Amino acid sequence: MKAINTPITEYMIENLSVGQIITVSGQILTGRDAVLPKLVALIENDKHKELGIELKGSVIFHTAVSPAGVGPTSSNKLDIERSIPELAKAGVKIHLGKGALKPSTLESLYKNNSVYAIIPPITALLSSKIIKKEIVAFGEEGMEALHLLTVKEFPMIIAAAHGKTLY
Amino acid sequence: MERDELISKKVSDTLIRAASNFREDQKKVYEKAIKEETNPSTKWVLESLLENSEVAQKNSSPLCDDTGIPHLFLEVGKNKKVSGEFLESIQQGIAEGLQKLPGRPMAIKGNDIERLEQSGGLDVDPGAVSPAPIIIKPVEENVIRLYILMQGGGPEIRGKTYRVFHQHKLEVIIDEIVKWTIDEVSKLGCTPCIPAIGIGRTHFEATSLMIEAMIRGNFNKQSDIEKEITNNINMSNIGPLGLKGNNTALATFVNVGPQRASGVRIVSLRLCCCVEPRVASVLL
Repeated sequence: MKAINTPITEYMIENLSVGQIITVSGQILTGRDAVLPKLVALIENDKHKELGIELKGSVIFHTAVSPAGVGPTSSNKLDIERSIPELAKAGVKIHLGKGALKPSTLESLYKNNSVYAIIPPITALLSSKIIKKEIVAFGEEGMEALHLLTVKEFPMIIAAAHGKTLY
Repeated sequence: MERDELISKKVSDTLIRAASNFREDQKKVYEKAIKEETNPSTKWVLESLLENSEVAQKNSSPLCDDTGIPHLFLEVGKNKKVSGEFLESIQQGIAEGLQKLPGRPMAIKGNDIERLEQSGGLDVDPGAVSPAPIIIKPVEENVIRLYILMQGGGPEIRGKTYRVFHQHKLEVIIDEIVKWTIDEVSKLGCTPCIPAIGIGRTHFEATSLMIEAMIRGNFNKQSDIEKEITNNINMSNIGPLGLKGNNTALATFVNVGPQRASGVRIVSLRLCCCVEPRVASVLL
Protein backbone atom coordinates (compact mmCIF):
# COMPACT_ATOMS: atom_id res chain seq x y z
CA MET A 1 0.00 0.00 0.00
CA LYS A 2 1.60 3.27 -1.17
CA ALA A 3 1.74 5.95 1.56
CA ILE A 4 1.67 9.67 0.76
CA ASN A 5 1.49 12.83 2.83
CA THR A 6 -0.30 16.10 2.25
CA PRO A 7 0.14 18.51 0.56
CA ILE A 8 -0.22 16.48 -2.63
CA THR A 9 2.19 17.47 -5.39
CA GLU A 10 1.76 17.24 -9.16
CA TYR A 11 4.46 14.57 -9.15
CA MET A 12 2.62 12.43 -6.57
CA ILE A 13 -0.50 12.50 -8.75
CA GLU A 14 1.46 11.48 -11.83
CA ASN A 15 2.55 8.35 -9.97
CA LEU A 16 -0.94 7.19 -9.03
CA SER A 17 -2.88 4.68 -11.10
CA VAL A 18 -6.47 3.45 -11.23
CA GLY A 19 -7.17 0.55 -8.85
CA GLN A 20 -4.19 1.36 -6.62
CA ILE A 21 -4.75 1.39 -2.84
CA ILE A 22 -2.98 4.23 -1.06
CA THR A 23 -2.94 5.82 2.38
CA VAL A 24 -2.92 9.56 2.96
CA SER A 25 -1.58 11.20 6.12
CA GLY A 26 -1.74 14.87 7.00
CA GLN A 27 -4.55 17.37 6.63
CA ILE A 28 -7.69 16.80 4.61
CA LEU A 29 -10.71 19.03 4.12
CA THR A 30 -14.27 17.73 4.27
CA GLY A 31 -17.35 19.02 2.51
CA ARG A 32 -20.53 17.79 0.91
CA ASP A 33 -23.88 18.98 -0.52
CA ALA A 34 -24.37 22.02 1.71
CA VAL A 35 -20.90 23.50 1.72
CA LEU A 36 -19.12 22.68 -1.54
CA PRO A 37 -21.32 25.00 -3.67
CA LYS A 38 -20.56 27.77 -1.14
CA LEU A 39 -16.84 27.09 -1.42
CA VAL A 40 -17.08 27.19 -5.21
CA ALA A 41 -18.89 30.56 -5.00
CA LEU A 42 -16.01 31.92 -2.90
CA ILE A 43 -13.47 30.63 -5.44
CA GLU A 44 -15.39 32.27 -8.29
CA ASN A 45 -15.30 35.58 -6.41
CA ASP A 46 -11.65 35.09 -5.47
CA LYS A 47 -12.52 35.19 -1.78
CA HIS A 48 -11.55 31.66 -0.73
CA LYS A 49 -8.12 32.77 0.51
CA GLU A 50 -9.92 34.64 3.31
CA LEU A 51 -10.76 31.23 4.82
CA GLY A 52 -7.08 30.72 5.62
CA ILE A 53 -6.88 27.35 3.90
CA GLU A 54 -4.76 26.26 0.97
CA LEU A 55 -6.65 24.47 -1.79
CA LYS A 56 -3.55 23.85 -3.90
CA GLY A 57 -2.38 20.30 -3.17
CA SER A 58 -5.38 19.58 -0.96
CA VAL A 59 -7.65 16.58 -0.45
CA ILE A 60 -11.42 17.01 -0.07
CA PHE A 61 -13.35 14.15 1.50
CA HIS A 62 -17.07 14.09 0.68
CA THR A 63 -18.35 13.42 4.16
CA ALA A 64 -20.16 14.93 7.10
CA VAL A 65 -18.20 15.22 10.35
CA SER A 66 -20.29 14.34 13.35
CA PRO A 67 -20.05 12.49 16.66
CA ALA A 68 -21.08 9.40 14.64
CA GLY A 69 -17.79 9.66 12.73
CA VAL A 70 -16.97 10.08 9.05
CA GLY A 71 -17.75 8.06 5.96
CA PRO A 72 -18.18 8.71 2.26
CA THR A 73 -21.38 10.19 0.87
CA SER A 74 -22.32 9.77 -2.81
CA SER A 75 -20.00 12.05 -4.81
CA ASN A 76 -22.49 11.96 -7.69
CA LYS A 77 -25.09 13.95 -5.74
CA LEU A 78 -25.82 17.04 -7.84
CA ASP A 79 -24.35 19.69 -5.52
CA ILE A 80 -21.19 17.68 -4.92
CA GLU A 81 -20.43 16.49 -8.44
CA ARG A 82 -20.90 19.88 -10.06
CA SER A 83 -18.44 21.44 -7.60
CA ILE A 84 -15.63 19.03 -8.58
CA PRO A 85 -14.44 20.72 -11.83
CA GLU A 86 -14.04 24.15 -10.18
CA LEU A 87 -12.33 22.66 -7.13
CA ALA A 88 -9.93 20.68 -9.33
CA LYS A 89 -9.13 23.90 -11.21
CA ALA A 90 -8.44 25.59 -7.86
CA GLY A 91 -5.85 22.95 -7.02
CA VAL A 92 -7.69 20.20 -5.12
CA LYS A 93 -5.71 17.07 -6.00
CA ILE A 94 -7.71 14.23 -4.46
CA HIS A 95 -11.53 14.20 -4.39
CA LEU A 96 -12.49 11.40 -2.01
CA GLY A 97 -15.98 9.90 -1.94
CA LYS A 98 -17.94 7.06 -3.48
CA GLY A 99 -19.97 6.15 -6.56
CA ALA A 100 -19.56 6.57 -10.31
CA LEU A 101 -19.06 10.09 -11.72
CA LYS A 102 -20.06 11.47 -15.13
CA PRO A 103 -17.52 11.36 -17.99
CA SER A 104 -17.50 15.19 -18.12
CA THR A 105 -16.49 15.36 -14.43
CA LEU A 106 -13.74 12.80 -14.97
CA GLU A 107 -12.52 14.81 -17.96
CA SER A 108 -12.20 17.92 -15.76
CA LEU A 109 -10.07 15.91 -13.30
CA TYR A 110 -7.81 14.75 -16.13
CA LYS A 111 -7.34 18.31 -17.39
CA ASN A 112 -6.27 19.50 -13.93
CA ASN A 113 -4.05 16.52 -13.01
CA SER A 114 -6.43 15.68 -10.19
CA VAL A 115 -7.76 12.26 -9.16
CA TYR A 116 -10.95 10.74 -7.79
CA ALA A 117 -10.54 8.24 -4.96
CA ILE A 118 -13.09 6.07 -3.21
CA ILE A 119 -13.31 4.64 0.26
CA PRO A 120 -15.61 1.99 1.77
CA PRO A 121 -17.97 3.06 4.57
CA ILE A 122 -15.60 1.94 7.34
CA THR A 123 -16.52 4.54 9.95
CA ALA A 124 -15.50 2.44 12.96
CA LEU A 125 -12.02 1.84 11.51
CA LEU A 126 -11.54 5.46 10.43
CA SER A 127 -12.30 6.83 13.90
CA SER A 128 -8.89 5.68 15.14
CA LYS A 129 -7.16 7.41 12.21
CA ILE A 130 -8.47 10.91 12.95
CA ILE A 131 -6.06 12.84 15.15
CA LYS A 132 -7.77 16.23 15.12
CA LYS A 133 -10.89 17.86 13.65
CA GLU A 134 -11.78 21.53 13.42
CA ILE A 135 -14.35 23.66 11.64
CA VAL A 136 -12.81 25.96 9.03
CA ALA A 137 -15.91 27.71 7.66
CA PHE A 138 -19.70 27.64 7.36
CA GLY A 139 -20.19 26.47 10.94
CA GLU A 140 -23.93 27.12 10.58
CA GLU A 141 -24.12 23.95 8.49
CA GLY A 142 -23.34 21.81 11.55
CA MET A 143 -22.03 18.38 10.54
CA GLU A 144 -21.93 19.61 6.93
CA ALA A 145 -19.58 22.54 7.71
CA LEU A 146 -16.17 22.75 6.01
CA HIS A 147 -13.90 20.82 8.38
CA LEU A 148 -10.17 20.27 8.44
CA LEU A 149 -9.15 16.82 9.66
CA THR A 150 -5.66 15.77 10.64
CA VAL A 151 -5.46 12.10 9.75
CA LYS A 152 -3.01 9.23 9.90
CA GLU A 153 -2.94 6.63 7.12
CA PHE A 154 -6.41 7.16 5.68
CA PRO A 155 -6.89 4.32 3.17
CA MET A 156 -8.42 4.90 -0.29
CA ILE A 157 -8.54 3.41 -3.79
CA ILE A 158 -7.81 5.48 -6.89
CA ALA A 159 -10.97 5.29 -9.02
CA ALA A 160 -10.10 7.80 -11.76
CA ALA A 161 -6.71 9.18 -12.81
CA HIS A 162 -5.03 10.39 -16.00
CA GLY A 163 -8.14 9.89 -18.14
CA LYS A 164 -8.67 6.31 -16.98
CA THR A 165 -11.45 5.18 -14.68
CA LEU A 166 -12.95 2.17 -12.96
CA TYR A 167 -16.35 3.08 -14.32
CA MET B 1 -37.10 0.40 37.04
CA GLU B 2 -40.65 1.31 35.94
CA ARG B 3 -42.12 -0.72 33.06
CA ASP B 4 -42.00 2.22 30.63
CA GLU B 5 -38.35 2.90 31.55
CA LEU B 6 -37.52 -0.77 31.05
CA ILE B 7 -39.12 -0.71 27.59
CA SER B 8 -37.21 2.44 26.64
CA LYS B 9 -33.93 0.86 27.81
CA LYS B 10 -34.57 -2.31 25.78
CA VAL B 11 -35.41 -0.24 22.70
CA SER B 12 -32.33 1.97 23.14
CA ASP B 13 -30.04 -1.08 23.42
CA THR B 14 -31.65 -2.67 20.36
CA LEU B 15 -31.15 0.46 18.26
CA ILE B 16 -27.45 0.50 19.18
CA ARG B 17 -27.17 -3.19 18.28
CA ALA B 18 -28.85 -2.60 14.89
CA ALA B 19 -26.46 0.26 14.08
CA SER B 20 -23.25 -1.42 15.20
CA ASN B 21 -23.57 -5.15 14.46
CA PHE B 22 -23.43 -7.39 11.43
CA ARG B 23 -25.86 -10.29 11.71
CA GLU B 24 -24.34 -13.81 11.91
CA ASP B 25 -25.58 -14.75 8.41
CA GLN B 26 -24.15 -11.44 7.12
CA LYS B 27 -20.70 -12.23 8.59
CA LYS B 28 -20.78 -15.67 6.97
CA VAL B 29 -21.63 -14.31 3.54
CA TYR B 30 -18.75 -11.81 3.79
CA GLU B 31 -16.33 -14.56 4.86
CA LYS B 32 -17.39 -16.64 1.85
CA ALA B 33 -17.00 -13.69 -0.55
CA ILE B 34 -13.52 -12.89 0.85
CA LYS B 35 -12.43 -16.51 0.41
CA GLU B 36 -13.60 -16.57 -3.21
CA GLU B 37 -12.27 -13.13 -4.20
CA THR B 38 -9.03 -13.14 -6.20
CA ASN B 39 -8.57 -9.42 -6.96
CA PRO B 40 -6.40 -7.95 -4.12
CA SER B 41 -8.12 -4.53 -4.11
CA THR B 42 -11.58 -6.07 -3.99
CA LYS B 43 -10.48 -8.50 -1.29
CA TRP B 44 -9.16 -5.54 0.72
CA VAL B 45 -12.57 -3.78 0.46
CA LEU B 46 -14.45 -6.85 1.69
CA GLU B 47 -11.93 -7.53 4.47
CA SER B 48 -12.11 -3.86 5.57
CA LEU B 49 -15.90 -4.01 5.75
CA LEU B 50 -15.81 -7.15 7.90
CA GLU B 51 -13.05 -5.73 10.14
CA ASN B 52 -15.06 -2.50 10.44
CA SER B 53 -18.04 -4.52 11.68
CA GLU B 54 -15.88 -6.26 14.29
CA VAL B 55 -14.58 -2.93 15.64
CA ALA B 56 -18.07 -1.39 15.59
CA GLN B 57 -19.50 -4.38 17.45
CA LYS B 58 -16.70 -4.32 20.04
CA ASN B 59 -17.15 -0.57 20.69
CA SER B 60 -20.95 -0.47 20.17
CA SER B 61 -20.19 2.35 17.71
CA PRO B 62 -21.74 3.07 14.29
CA LEU B 63 -20.90 0.81 11.35
CA CYS B 64 -21.32 3.86 9.10
CA ASP B 65 -21.41 7.59 9.87
CA ASP B 66 -24.80 7.75 8.16
CA THR B 67 -26.46 6.08 11.12
CA GLY B 68 -29.76 6.21 9.26
CA ILE B 69 -33.41 6.96 9.92
CA PRO B 70 -34.96 4.51 12.43
CA HIS B 71 -37.76 2.37 10.99
CA LEU B 72 -39.88 0.33 13.39
CA PHE B 73 -41.75 -2.92 12.73
CA LEU B 74 -43.87 -4.22 15.61
CA GLU B 75 -45.25 -7.77 15.80
CA VAL B 76 -48.20 -8.11 18.17
CA GLY B 77 -49.54 -11.49 19.34
CA LYS B 78 -53.26 -12.29 19.69
CA ASN B 79 -53.52 -11.70 23.45
CA LYS B 80 -51.20 -8.71 23.63
CA LYS B 81 -52.19 -5.07 23.87
CA VAL B 82 -50.41 -2.00 22.58
CA SER B 83 -51.31 1.33 24.18
CA GLY B 84 -50.41 4.89 23.33
CA GLU B 85 -48.22 4.95 26.45
CA PHE B 86 -46.38 1.85 25.22
CA LEU B 87 -45.71 3.45 21.83
CA GLU B 88 -44.48 6.57 23.62
CA SER B 89 -41.97 4.46 25.59
CA ILE B 90 -40.71 3.02 22.31
CA GLN B 91 -40.27 6.52 20.87
CA GLN B 92 -38.41 7.56 24.02
CA GLY B 93 -36.11 4.54 23.67
CA ILE B 94 -35.36 5.45 20.06
CA ALA B 95 -34.30 8.98 21.06
CA GLU B 96 -32.16 7.63 23.91
CA GLY B 97 -30.53 5.06 21.64
CA LEU B 98 -29.66 7.73 19.08
CA GLN B 99 -28.13 9.92 21.78
CA LYS B 100 -26.09 7.07 23.22
CA LEU B 101 -24.87 5.55 19.91
CA PRO B 102 -24.38 8.46 18.98
CA GLY B 103 -26.47 8.84 15.85
CA ARG B 104 -25.65 11.48 13.28
CA PRO B 105 -27.37 14.76 14.27
CA MET B 106 -29.16 15.25 10.98
CA ALA B 107 -32.66 16.45 11.91
CA ILE B 108 -33.53 19.63 10.00
CA LYS B 109 -35.20 22.39 11.97
CA GLY B 110 -37.86 24.83 10.83
CA ASN B 111 -41.18 25.08 9.01
CA ASP B 112 -42.11 23.16 5.84
CA ILE B 113 -40.15 25.43 3.53
CA GLU B 114 -37.12 25.64 5.82
CA ARG B 115 -37.04 21.88 6.16
CA LEU B 116 -37.36 21.37 2.42
CA GLU B 117 -34.65 23.89 1.59
CA GLN B 118 -32.49 22.92 4.58
CA SER B 119 -32.35 26.59 5.51
CA GLY B 120 -33.54 26.29 9.13
CA GLY B 121 -30.35 24.79 10.49
CA LEU B 122 -29.64 21.37 11.97
CA ASP B 123 -30.66 20.16 15.39
CA VAL B 124 -27.50 19.26 17.33
CA ASP B 125 -29.37 16.54 19.26
CA PRO B 126 -28.98 13.09 17.60
CA GLY B 127 -32.20 12.12 19.40
CA ALA B 128 -34.14 14.69 17.38
CA VAL B 129 -34.04 12.38 14.34
CA SER B 130 -37.61 11.11 14.49
CA PRO B 131 -38.41 7.56 13.37
CA ALA B 132 -40.52 6.82 10.29
CA PRO B 133 -44.17 5.79 10.91
CA ILE B 134 -44.32 2.46 12.73
CA ILE B 135 -45.60 -0.69 10.97
CA ILE B 136 -47.72 -2.98 13.18
CA LYS B 137 -48.46 -6.57 12.18
CA PRO B 138 -50.53 -9.20 14.05
CA VAL B 139 -48.72 -12.54 14.53
CA GLU B 140 -49.70 -16.01 15.79
CA GLU B 141 -46.90 -16.11 18.35
CA ASN B 142 -48.06 -14.61 21.66
CA VAL B 143 -45.39 -11.92 21.89
CA ILE B 144 -44.69 -8.26 21.28
CA ARG B 145 -41.52 -8.11 19.22
CA LEU B 146 -40.00 -4.89 17.92
CA TYR B 147 -37.63 -4.77 14.97
CA ILE B 148 -35.53 -1.63 14.51
CA LEU B 149 -34.02 -0.90 11.11
CA MET B 150 -31.55 1.92 10.48
CA GLN B 151 -31.98 3.18 6.92
CA GLY B 152 -29.07 5.05 5.32
CA GLY B 153 -29.42 7.80 2.73
CA GLY B 154 -27.47 6.30 -0.21
CA PRO B 155 -29.90 3.39 -0.67
CA GLU B 156 -32.80 5.85 -0.52
CA ILE B 157 -31.35 7.77 -3.49
CA ARG B 158 -31.05 4.54 -5.50
CA GLY B 159 -34.37 2.97 -4.47
CA LYS B 160 -37.50 2.90 -6.59
CA THR B 161 -41.18 2.03 -6.17
CA TYR B 162 -42.94 1.68 -9.48
CA ARG B 163 -45.28 -0.49 -11.52
CA VAL B 164 -44.35 -3.43 -13.67
CA PHE B 165 -46.65 -4.78 -16.40
CA HIS B 166 -45.96 -8.44 -15.70
CA GLN B 167 -47.44 -10.04 -18.87
CA HIS B 168 -48.18 -13.09 -16.68
CA LYS B 169 -44.50 -14.03 -16.59
CA LEU B 170 -42.23 -13.98 -13.53
CA GLU B 171 -39.27 -13.37 -15.82
CA VAL B 172 -40.66 -9.99 -16.86
CA ILE B 173 -40.74 -8.84 -13.22
CA ILE B 174 -37.28 -10.25 -12.49
CA ASP B 175 -35.79 -8.64 -15.60
CA GLU B 176 -37.24 -5.25 -14.62
CA ILE B 177 -35.84 -5.50 -11.07
CA VAL B 178 -32.40 -6.45 -12.42
CA LYS B 179 -32.51 -3.57 -14.92
CA TRP B 180 -33.44 -1.03 -12.20
CA THR B 181 -30.60 -2.35 -10.04
CA ILE B 182 -27.93 -2.29 -12.73
CA ASP B 183 -28.99 1.23 -13.78
CA GLU B 184 -28.33 2.52 -10.25
CA VAL B 185 -25.87 0.28 -8.47
CA SER B 186 -22.61 1.76 -9.76
CA LYS B 187 -23.80 5.18 -8.55
CA LEU B 188 -24.57 3.73 -5.10
CA GLY B 189 -20.85 3.25 -4.57
CA CYS B 190 -21.22 1.25 -1.36
CA THR B 191 -21.39 -2.16 -2.98
CA PRO B 192 -21.79 -5.10 -2.59
CA CYS B 193 -25.48 -4.28 -2.32
CA ILE B 194 -28.39 -6.34 -1.04
CA PRO B 195 -31.55 -5.57 -3.01
CA ALA B 196 -34.59 -5.63 -0.71
CA ILE B 197 -37.81 -6.04 -2.67
CA GLY B 198 -41.49 -5.89 -1.81
CA ILE B 199 -44.13 -6.75 -4.41
CA GLY B 200 -47.71 -5.75 -3.66
CA ARG B 201 -50.88 -4.01 -4.86
CA THR B 202 -50.16 -0.41 -3.90
CA HIS B 203 -47.08 1.72 -3.39
CA PHE B 204 -47.62 1.75 0.38
CA GLU B 205 -48.09 -2.01 0.54
CA ALA B 206 -45.07 -2.74 -1.66
CA THR B 207 -42.88 -0.47 0.47
CA SER B 208 -44.10 -2.11 3.70
CA LEU B 209 -43.35 -5.52 2.20
CA MET B 210 -39.87 -4.31 1.25
CA ILE B 211 -39.22 -3.24 4.86
CA GLU B 212 -40.41 -6.67 6.02
CA ALA B 213 -38.09 -8.32 3.45
CA MET B 214 -35.15 -6.66 5.22
CA ILE B 215 -36.28 -8.28 8.48
CA ARG B 216 -37.15 -11.77 7.22
CA GLY B 217 -34.43 -12.14 4.56
CA ASN B 218 -31.55 -14.50 5.27
CA PHE B 219 -28.19 -14.35 3.47
CA ASN B 220 -27.78 -18.12 3.75
CA LYS B 221 -31.33 -19.19 2.86
CA GLN B 222 -32.13 -17.80 -0.55
CA SER B 223 -35.24 -18.71 -2.58
CA ASP B 224 -35.00 -19.50 -6.29
CA ILE B 225 -36.29 -16.00 -7.15
CA GLU B 226 -33.72 -14.39 -4.84
CA LYS B 227 -30.88 -16.50 -6.27
CA GLU B 228 -31.87 -15.64 -9.84
CA ILE B 229 -31.94 -11.89 -9.15
CA THR B 230 -28.56 -12.02 -7.37
CA ASN B 231 -26.97 -14.06 -10.17
CA ASN B 232 -28.30 -11.76 -12.88
CA ILE B 233 -27.08 -8.63 -11.05
CA ASN B 234 -23.65 -10.19 -10.56
CA MET B 235 -23.31 -10.67 -14.31
CA SER B 236 -22.97 -6.86 -14.49
CA ASN B 237 -19.34 -7.13 -13.26
CA ILE B 238 -19.61 -3.92 -11.20
CA GLY B 239 -18.26 -5.45 -8.00
CA PRO B 240 -17.46 -4.05 -4.55
CA LEU B 241 -17.07 -0.25 -4.72
CA GLY B 242 -17.14 -0.56 -8.53
CA LEU B 243 -13.85 -2.50 -8.61
CA LYS B 244 -15.37 -5.22 -10.87
CA GLY B 245 -15.89 -8.88 -10.02
CA ASN B 246 -18.69 -11.24 -9.07
CA ASN B 247 -19.82 -9.61 -5.83
CA THR B 248 -22.03 -6.72 -6.95
CA ALA B 249 -24.85 -8.20 -4.82
CA LEU B 250 -24.27 -10.52 -1.87
CA ALA B 251 -27.88 -11.71 -1.70
CA THR B 252 -31.43 -10.57 -2.47
CA PHE B 253 -34.35 -10.34 -0.05
CA VAL B 254 -37.76 -10.68 -1.71
CA ASN B 255 -41.19 -10.49 -0.05
CA VAL B 256 -44.21 -11.22 -2.25
CA GLY B 257 -47.52 -10.01 -0.79
CA PRO B 258 -51.13 -10.36 -1.95
CA GLN B 259 -51.63 -9.42 -5.59
CA ARG B 260 -54.40 -7.63 -7.51
CA ALA B 261 -56.32 -9.15 -10.46
CA SER B 262 -54.57 -6.90 -12.95
CA GLY B 263 -51.71 -6.78 -15.43
CA VAL B 264 -49.77 -4.63 -12.98
CA ARG B 265 -47.53 -5.43 -10.01
CA ILE B 266 -46.16 -2.69 -7.76
CA VAL B 267 -42.51 -3.32 -7.00
CA SER B 268 -40.56 -1.53 -4.28
CA LEU B 269 -36.79 -1.91 -4.58
CA ARG B 270 -34.24 -0.65 -2.07
CA LEU B 271 -30.58 -1.23 -2.83
CA CYS B 272 -29.32 -1.82 0.68
CA CYS B 273 -25.65 -0.83 0.89
CA CYS B 274 -22.75 -2.99 2.08
CA VAL B 275 -23.37 -2.35 5.81
CA GLU B 276 -27.11 -3.05 5.56
CA PRO B 277 -29.67 -4.29 6.39
CA ARG B 278 -28.97 -2.85 9.83
CA VAL B 279 -31.68 -4.53 11.87
CA ALA B 280 -32.08 -5.94 15.37
CA SER B 281 -35.09 -7.16 17.32
CA VAL B 282 -36.24 -7.34 20.93
CA LEU B 283 -39.14 -8.88 22.86
CA LEU B 284 -41.00 -6.20 24.83
